[in-house]
Amino acid sequence: MSPTEILLLLMVVPFVAAIVSFLAIRGGEGVRKLAIGCHALSMLLIVILAITVAGSVFVDGPIHAFNNWIYLDGLSALFLAVLGVVSFLTGMYSIGYIGHEYEHGELSGTKVALYYGLFNLFIATMILAVTANNVIMMWVAIEATTICSVFLVGLYGQRSSLEAAWKYIIICTVGLAFGLFGSILTYSNAAAVFADPANAIFWTDIHQNAKALDPTLVHISFIFILIGFGTKVGLFPMHAWLPDAHSEAPSPVSALLSAGLLNCALLVILRYYMITVKSIGPDFPQTLMLVFGFMSVAVSAFFIITQHDIKRKLAYHSVENMGLITLAIALGPLGVIAGLMHVINHSLAKTLMFCGAGNILLKYGTRDITVVKGILKVAPMTGILVAIGALALGGVPPFSMFVSEFLMVTAAIGEDMPFFTVALLSLLAVVLGGLAHMVACCVMGDKPAEVEKGELGFMTIAPMVVLVGLIVIMGTLIPTQVLHGIDRAALVLLDSDEPTVLNLLNLPAVSQSTEVLVPNPTLAQK
Amino acid sequence: MNSDILINNLAGLLIITSVMVIGTRKAKSAALLYSLQSFVLVLTFVAIAKSVDATELYHWSITAFITKVIALPALLYYAFSKMSDPQADRPVVHFGWLIPIAGVITVASFLAVESVQLPLVEHLKPALAVSLSHFFLGLLCIVSQRNILKQLFGYCLMENGSSLTLALLANKAPGLVEIGITTDAVFAVLFMVILARQIYFKLNTLDVNQLTSLKG
Repeated sequence: MSPTEILLLLMVVPFVAAIVSFLAIRGGEGVRKLAIGCHALSMLLIVILAITVAGSVFVDGPIHAFNNWIYLDGLSALFLAVLGVVSFLTGMYSIGYIGHEYEHGELSGTKVALYYGLFNLFIATMILAVTANNVIMMWVAIEATTICSVFLVGLYGQRSSLEAAWKYIIICTVGLAFGLFGSILTYSNAAAVFADPANAIFWTDIHQNAKALDPTLVHISFIFILIGFGTKVGLFPMHAWLPDAHSEAPSPVSALLSAGLLNCALLVILRYYMITVKSIGPDFPQTLMLVFGFMSVAVSAFFIITQHDIKRKLAYHSVENMGLITLAIALGPLGVIAGLMHVINHSLAKTLMFCGAGNILLKYGTRDITVVKGILKVAPMTGILVAIGALALGGVPPFSMFVSEFLMVTAAIGEDMPFFTVALLSLLAVVLGGLAHMVACCVMGDKPAEVEKGELGFMTIAPMVVLVGLIVIMGTLIPTQVLHGIDRAALVLLDSDEPTVLNLLNLPAVSQSTEVLVPNPTLAQK
Repeated sequence: MNSDILINNLAGLLIITSVMVIGTRKAKSAALLYSLQSFVLVLTFVAIAKSVDATELYHWSITAFITKVIALPALLYYAFSKMSDPQADRPVVHFGWLIPIAGVITVASFLAVESVQLPLVEHLKPALAVSLSHFFLGLLCIVSQRNILKQLFGYCLMENGSSLTLALLANKAPGLVEIGITTDAVFAVLFMVILARQIYFKLNTLDVNQLTSLKG
C-alpha cells in the first residue's frame, strides 16, 4: 500500500467508526457493543497507520496528495504520529472510563454511542487539520474540531459542563474568526502577487514564494493568526476557555483536548510562523512567540499552585507547556529541537495525568485535592502511576519532560538571555512545587472511610502503564527513530537545507545515533 | 457611478448597519437588521464582481445571499422566537458609547491598512479598512451583549468582515474556498444555537452573567 493510500485510509477510518456509532444511538445493547468494538478497531488502525505514514515521510520525504490539498512533511508527520499515539491510548482508556460511567448510570446508552461517534469525528477533524495544505481547509478543520468536541465537553449536561461548553465554543469560535481573517489575509496577499493565483491557496506555494508577499499584510496576518489559533492553543491571555473545558469534559476527552487538539492548533501557528520568517525575517515573529509563550508560562505557573481542582491544575499546566513550546521555537535551532521534543513529552505526560485524574474522579467522586487523600491505599496502582505522572510533568528526571525542559533552558542560555533563563527556571520551580503538593496531598495520607478499595479495571490502568513506559523511555534512551523524526521536523521548521539539525548542534547523546539515518539525498535537497 | 466609489460607499454602509445590529435592543429586530447588513454585503460582492469581472464572486454572491441574508437570520429569528430572556437583553455598553467606539475602530483600521501596497486595492483602501473595522465591530458586539444568543451576531459580523476582505483581495478565489468558509460559519452558528437552547432549558437563562460558576 502506498503512503498516499495509507493516509487516505487514516482519514476514512475514524469517519466510518463515527458513522457506525451515530447509527448505534437508536440501537440496543448489542448494537452499542458493536459500535464500541468498531471504535477499538478504529483506534488501533489509527495508531498503526499514523506511525506507518509518518515513518515513511521521515525516510522518503513529503507526501502530496489529492491535488495538493493534503500535504505531509516532517513537521506535520511528527504531529500526526503523536496524535495517533494519543488517540489510541485515550480511545482505549475511554472504553474503561465510559463503561464505568454507563454501568453506574451516569451516562445513558444513547450518550455512550454519541460519545464514541463524536470522539472518532473529533479525531478525524484533527487528522485533517494536521495534514491540510489548503490554508482555508486548515482553518475549516480547526473550526470543525471545536464543533465536534463541544458536545463532548458538555456531555454530562450539568450546569457546569454546559457553561464550560458555551465558553469553549464562543471563545474558540471568536478566536478562530481572527484565525480566519489572518488566513484570508495571507491567501489574498499571495493571490494578489502570484503569477498563478490558483496556487495561492496552498501553504506549500505560499511558503515557497513568501518573499513576494506584501510585508504590511504579513505583519497584520501573523498577529491575527497568533491571536486566532493561539486561542485554540491556549496561550495567555486567550486561554480562558481551557481550564473550564478541560476540567468539565470526561477525562479521556480532557486528555485528547490537551495532548491532541492543542498540538494541532500549534502546528497551524508554526506553518504561518515559517511563512512570516521567510517573508519579513525572524525578529518580529520570534519576539511575538517569545512574549506570548513567556506570559503563558508565567501566569499559568501561579494558577497551578493555587488550584484545588486536579483537572483545572492540569489544564493550567497545559497552558504552561504550550507557552514553553511556543517560546522554545523562538530560541534558535536548539530551542526548536527542545520545543518539538516537548510536544511529544507533554502529550504523553498529560495523557497519563488526565487518565489518572479520571480514575481519581471515578473512585472519589470529586476532583478537589483537599478531599482526595490516600490514593496509594485506595488504588495502589493508580496512586503510583499518578505520582510518576505528576513528577514527570514537573520535569523531574529520569522522565522525558526533564530532557526537553533542560534543552530549553540550555537554548535560552545559548541565546545569551540570562535574566530570561533565571525567570524561566524560577517559574518551572513554582510549577514543580504545585505538582509535588498535589502528589503529597492526594497520593499520600490515609484512605477516606467512604471510599472503596480496589482498582477500577484493566482498561483504566493498562493505557497508563504504557504511557509511563513511554515517558521513561523518552527520558532515558530516546529511540533513534524518534530522534530522527524530531530532526526531520526541525529541518522543516527551520527551513534548512542542511541534512540534519541534531548533528550540527553537537549534542553528545544524539550525534552518533542520528548520523546513520541522515542523509537521504532527496531530503538533503529539500 | 465609478465602481470604486460605489464599492467604498457600500462598505461604508456596512459600518452603519453593523452599529445598528449591535445597538438594537430587540433581539428579533437584530436578526432582521443582520439580514439587511448581509444584503448590503452581497451588493458589495456584486459591485466588486462587476468591477473586476469575477465570475466566481457572482457565484459566491448567490451562496452568500442564501446563507447570510436568508438562512442565518432565519435561524436566529427562530431561536429568538423560542427563547426569550428580557433580563439578558440589557446591553453592557450604552448605545451612546457605541458610536464613538465604532468611530475609533474605523479610524484605527484606516491607519492599519494605510501602508498596504497591493495594486489590487489601490483605490479600495476605504473598503479594506471597513472590512478590518467590521471584524472588530463584531468583537465589540460580543463583549457588549449579555444575551448569549445576541453574542452570536458578533461572530456573524466578524465573519462578514473576513468575507469582505476575501472578496476585495482574492475575488477570483475558487468557489470551494468560499463555500467552505460559509458552510463552516453556518454550522458554527447552528451548533451554538443548539448549545444555547440546552443552556436555556436547563438553566432558564440566556444571560452570560449567570454563567459564572466556573472561575479561577
